[in-house]
Amino acid sequence: MAMYRSHVLICGGTGCVSNGATEVTEAMRKELARRDLTGEVLVVPTGCHGMCEMGPIMVVYPEGTFYSRVTAEDVPEIVEEHIYKGRPVERLMYSGGEEMPTVPHYKDIPFYGKQHRIALKNCGYINPDNIEEYISRGGYEALAKAITSMTPVQVIDELKASGLRGRGGGGFPTGLKWSFCAAAKGDKKYVICNADEGDPGAFMDRSILEGDPHAILEGMLLGAFAMGANEGYIYCRAEYPLAIQRLKTAIEQAENYGLLGENIMDTPFSFTVHVKEGAGAFVCGEETALMASIEGQRGMPRPRPPFPANSGLWGLPTNINNVETWANVAQIIAHGGEWYAAMGTEKSKGTKVFALTGKVKHTGLVEVPMGITLREIIFDIGGGILNDRKFKAVQIGGPSGGCLTEEHLDTPVSYETLTALGAIMGSGGLVVMDEDNCMVDVAKFFLEFTQKESCGKCSPCREGTKHMLLLLNKISEGNGTMEDLETLENLANMVQEMSLCGLGQTAPNPVLTTLRYFRDEYVAHIRDKKCPAGACTALLEYSILQDVCRKCGICARNCPVHCIPGDRTSGYVIETERCIRCGTCFEKCPFGAIEKK
Amino acid sequence: MSEITLVIDGVECRGEKGDTILEVARKNDIYIPTLCWMEGLTPIGSCRMCVVEVEKNPKLLTACTTPAVQDMRVSTKTEKLKKYRLQILELLFAGRNHFCMFCSQSGDCELQRLAIEHGMDNVRYPFLYESFHNDATDPHIQIDHNRCILCLRCIRVCAEKVGAHTLDLEQRGWGTNIVADLGKKLGESDTCITCGACAQVCPTGTITLRDFVYRGRRNDCDDIVESICPLCSLGCRIKAWVRTGSVVRVEGLSGTSADGGQLCQRGRWELPKSTERDRVTVPMIRTGSTFREASWDEALTLAASKMKGALESGKAAALLSELSTDEELTVMSSFFRDTLKMDKVDGYYGNMLRGFVDGFRPFADQGIRPFTAAHNIASSDAIVLLDANPQEEAPVAASYIRVSTILERAKLVNISTVKNPFEGITDVDIRTTEKEMEDLIRTLRQGVEGQDVPEKLKEAAELLKNAQKPVIVIGSSLASYPSIVTEAVNLAVASGAFFEDGLGVVPMLRASNSLGALNTVTGTKDWLTDSDLDFLYVLSTGMVDEDKRALEAMSRARFVVVHTPFMSHPLVNMADVLLPAPAWYERSGHYCTLEGERRRMNMIVPPKGNVKGLSVIMKDLAAKLGHELAQASAAPCENIYASTAEPVAARTVSMKEEG
Repeated sequence: MAMYRSHVLICGGTGCVSNGATEVTEAMRKELARRDLTGEVLVVPTGCHGMCEMGPIMVVYPEGTFYSRVTAEDVPEIVEEHIYKGRPVERLMYSGGEEMPTVPHYKDIPFYGKQHRIALKNCGYINPDNIEEYISRGGYEALAKAITSMTPVQVIDELKASGLRGRGGGGFPTGLKWSFCAAAKGDKKYVICNADEGDPGAFMDRSILEGDPHAILEGMLLGAFAMGANEGYIYCRAEYPLAIQRLKTAIEQAENYGLLGENIMDTPFSFTVHVKEGAGAFVCGEETALMASIEGQRGMPRPRPPFPANSGLWGLPTNINNVETWANVAQIIAHGGEWYAAMGTEKSKGTKVFALTGKVKHTGLVEVPMGITLREIIFDIGGGILNDRKFKAVQIGGPSGGCLTEEHLDTPVSYETLTALGAIMGSGGLVVMDEDNCMVDVAKFFLEFTQKESCGKCSPCREGTKHMLLLLNKISEGNGTMEDLETLENLANMVQEMSLCGLGQTAPNPVLTTLRYFRDEYVAHIRDKKCPAGACTALLEYSILQDVCRKCGICARNCPVHCIPGDRTSGYVIETERCIRCGTCFEKCPFGAIEKK
Repeated sequence: MSEITLVIDGVECRGEKGDTILEVARKNDIYIPTLCWMEGLTPIGSCRMCVVEVEKNPKLLTACTTPAVQDMRVSTKTEKLKKYRLQILELLFAGRNHFCMFCSQSGDCELQRLAIEHGMDNVRYPFLYESFHNDATDPHIQIDHNRCILCLRCIRVCAEKVGAHTLDLEQRGWGTNIVADLGKKLGESDTCITCGACAQVCPTGTITLRDFVYRGRRNDCDDIVESICPLCSLGCRIKAWVRTGSVVRVEGLSGTSADGGQLCQRGRWELPKSTERDRVTVPMIRTGSTFREASWDEALTLAASKMKGALESGKAAALLSELSTDEELTVMSSFFRDTLKMDKVDGYYGNMLRGFVDGFRPFADQGIRPFTAAHNIASSDAIVLLDANPQEEAPVAASYIRVSTILERAKLVNISTVKNPFEGITDVDIRTTEKEMEDLIRTLRQGVEGQDVPEKLKEAAELLKNAQKPVIVIGSSLASYPSIVTEAVNLAVASGAFFEDGLGVVPMLRASNSLGALNTVTGTKDWLTDSDLDFLYVLSTGMVDEDKRALEAMSRARFVVVHTPFMSHPLVNMADVLLPAPAWYERSGHYCTLEGERRRMNMIVPPKGNVKGLSVIMKDLAAKLGHELAQASAAPCENIYASTAEPVAARTVSMKEEG
């Protein structure tokens, strides 16, 4: 490889690309060419840095200067000042508020401070389209180690020792799962990577696929070696075109390097892998539905047993793990199971990637050791609640997860603790909510999603979620009764226990946890016909605070249904019966004289 | 199979390893409610009615899919389970239109029965009144999606048993719906063969047969009789529902049998409809252009008088239906052959049967049964069709072919002079002429034996070479060329098509008791076309239309006695004397079926009118002719299924040496 005095890493993740990272990269290349610096400075499009909210992100090495929200117009200045004159551009640096107005270095940013990156190790550092960059960071060393000096049993033992558990949500010990498939009889076995990430707001798998596709391939290769499989599938949702493209490039490169195909590294071990695009059904993330989909059938789950380890794809022994799980494998083999097991809690080892979103200052992707508290994630890494409002709840585990409250903030995050509280680890979605979020509304939002994504096969999920949603709608519109609350709870329990697959079994979680921790809010909707958070439109009442009002009449002029009669001398009043609760008056009032409650 | 014991509801139950909890419970008379489950179909555990609690397992498990394990402790009737089941039933009722008073299946509905059983006296959830469409595009089958509970039985039976896979799902979640093909209405479907299997398995009033709706409700019926369908050589076993003397519904007997409890369109509709047809109820004698009623004695005396002269001049003949039972064929054979020593005796399909027999002879001579039970097609891994169109000739055999090729991934080779009846699922399709057929099959056989073959036969030869259990299906039209039949069997032998019961050959015999007719009524040569007849006795079952050749012979004959149950035209127009016969549903007896077994037909309703048993009639007629009815020389099924050598011992025969 040629030597460069400086590397400019520009994030090429979906978030930054949609914010204009491609244009920034182009501008940077052009600018460097214009100044004849092409031979000295290398522009590297990388995977996701995690701090998507601040994108497009650019990191300039060797200094490690972190620029955020870079636009194409900023590029000449960066080249002129930083690369030419060695004076980093302060105005583009990350700002951590008054305490630290500018943070020049990547590693000093609090967002990254408490993170511990294993699955995301290479994301943001390497060019995912270049296998050599992956290899230069130790890539494929684990594979070489395993297939030349380890037995399949040793690989599985190493994984068992690591304590790695399924990162797709189930949390089943990966080593144990592998040993089932390894023990299954059959000449032909499959390994599958589940990249059908469908939780709203979750993008950890996408970032790994886009930022470090070779880590997944290496993980699958190791799994295939350990379990005696020689064919694999990566089932990736079609909504991730960039991920699919990068995977295909990675597969092609690995094949060219003899890391995929026949007799890998001149050993008897052979492995081929295919990318299969999913057509956008959430339920296809369920392993049996996913396999049905690969087989070309309608993606619907089937009851287990038989488990995929014995009868999976086309009835043959199959092992399915999700992207993040696979991404951890190579490093566990490279560094040993004990290294990995040193992190985390007693039963939940290693790290977990979370997609931190909602009312938090720094949204993005974070990888943290198990056992970290929610408070550390939300307040230390996430920087606290947006606009310094009060924390209300955090929805953890996506649409199948549950809402936890203030009192749970100091609970160490692990599979067991979350399940005990009624939430799940899930794939790692973290949605932070403040006082403006109505919990009935939140439950409704997630249930709307799962209800729409129910495959329709089993009756509890198909019919039950429909009626649960109807009840939630009824309550949020102020038409609920206390009896409805009981019906809702009964239904939720039934759907949870009776549904065929994980989708139905976890769909009631948001409802059940909000009922458990925020029952008062439900009661307020029913008994007082009020939404305490002011989010349920049907229950809002707008009124004019007469002592604040300056009688300017702006509200009356803008009201689309003309329900604010009055004049500039006697003042204005909102006629509640006619009000359609559109909120226009609230927005337009220059004096904050409109109150909604 | 090792036995296991487990405890269900406190009762020690025995089952076999591999049984599901439900299977063990059923074997031990423990009731577990089910809705989507159906015997013979792949269990999918979707309705969740059969959930049970298993000790030490925190999850509720579906009994229909969970394997029973030694020492398992299962509870099927806890309060929690009852509560949840009731909730599911209520949800199903609230979802679509399940207002029983408007439903044709009320009283004959599994959903309704479960609701009653679970004491569902109200529905706690709002009725959604969502309107799904009522698919009335098919003239025979109606699908009212408003009554569907998505048990998916119809989809499964259509895919797993019929092999048509016409039905599947569209949309998802609450909007999930059954569709035909890729989103068509049933009437527009290209793949539906209108067999009605979907209606047979539907637990509610969603899929109904328009002809039998309301009157075909099972709970309103007076009787259920097991019998067989006499319409083709497979002799599918049926259950017939009787209501006020009419058959109002027929169903395949068992989902676990080889045929999967299916019927074809003809069986499903023609059998019940036949009970409404016009009948010949009394003996009648022609007077000019009409008939007059007569007594049995008068009619038989007239027949005997005409027959006597004809017998003397050798111009008497008998044309007998191969749709008759073994017992009827025996009587016929003893009367015409052994008592009267007539040589002009034959069945309607005489030529076809003689063709097959001639073609099979070299192998029968080796002591090997040259054909196998039709259902073995379903377990075959390569199927060769030789001018066969099973959908016409024996429709359920077409289901075997589809299931085998689509689900079991068997290879399908079609060699035909006409259009391929299985377009789309055929691996190799070869078009030829009748003239070239024999050479082509021989060349293909030589290819299987390892010789070089022309390009167009290479793939087929390779495929047969690799097959473990191939089956050759010979179309009935090829029976005109016995040498082709022999070559076809040669191909089976060369390909190693050896089944336990015989060689892997399935001849598409048309009539239901063709095999039984071989020893009894089938003649040695064809006389029908060119005979100058003074007397012709015709025995018809009225279930299959007479062909042109038979009708022409009747119109040439100077005196015709037609013995038939139905006033079917033009048959009865040919009669000088018309004798009433019992219809298929009024008879009992046996059939030698192509499914490899002798099956029993049972009387479903007692005979109507002034009918007499065939043996009584023949005895009378013999007496009037001055004879006593002799013993039949051969039993119908004798030697038909016999095999003295193992099929693997079969040798191919050279057609050139054999002449």
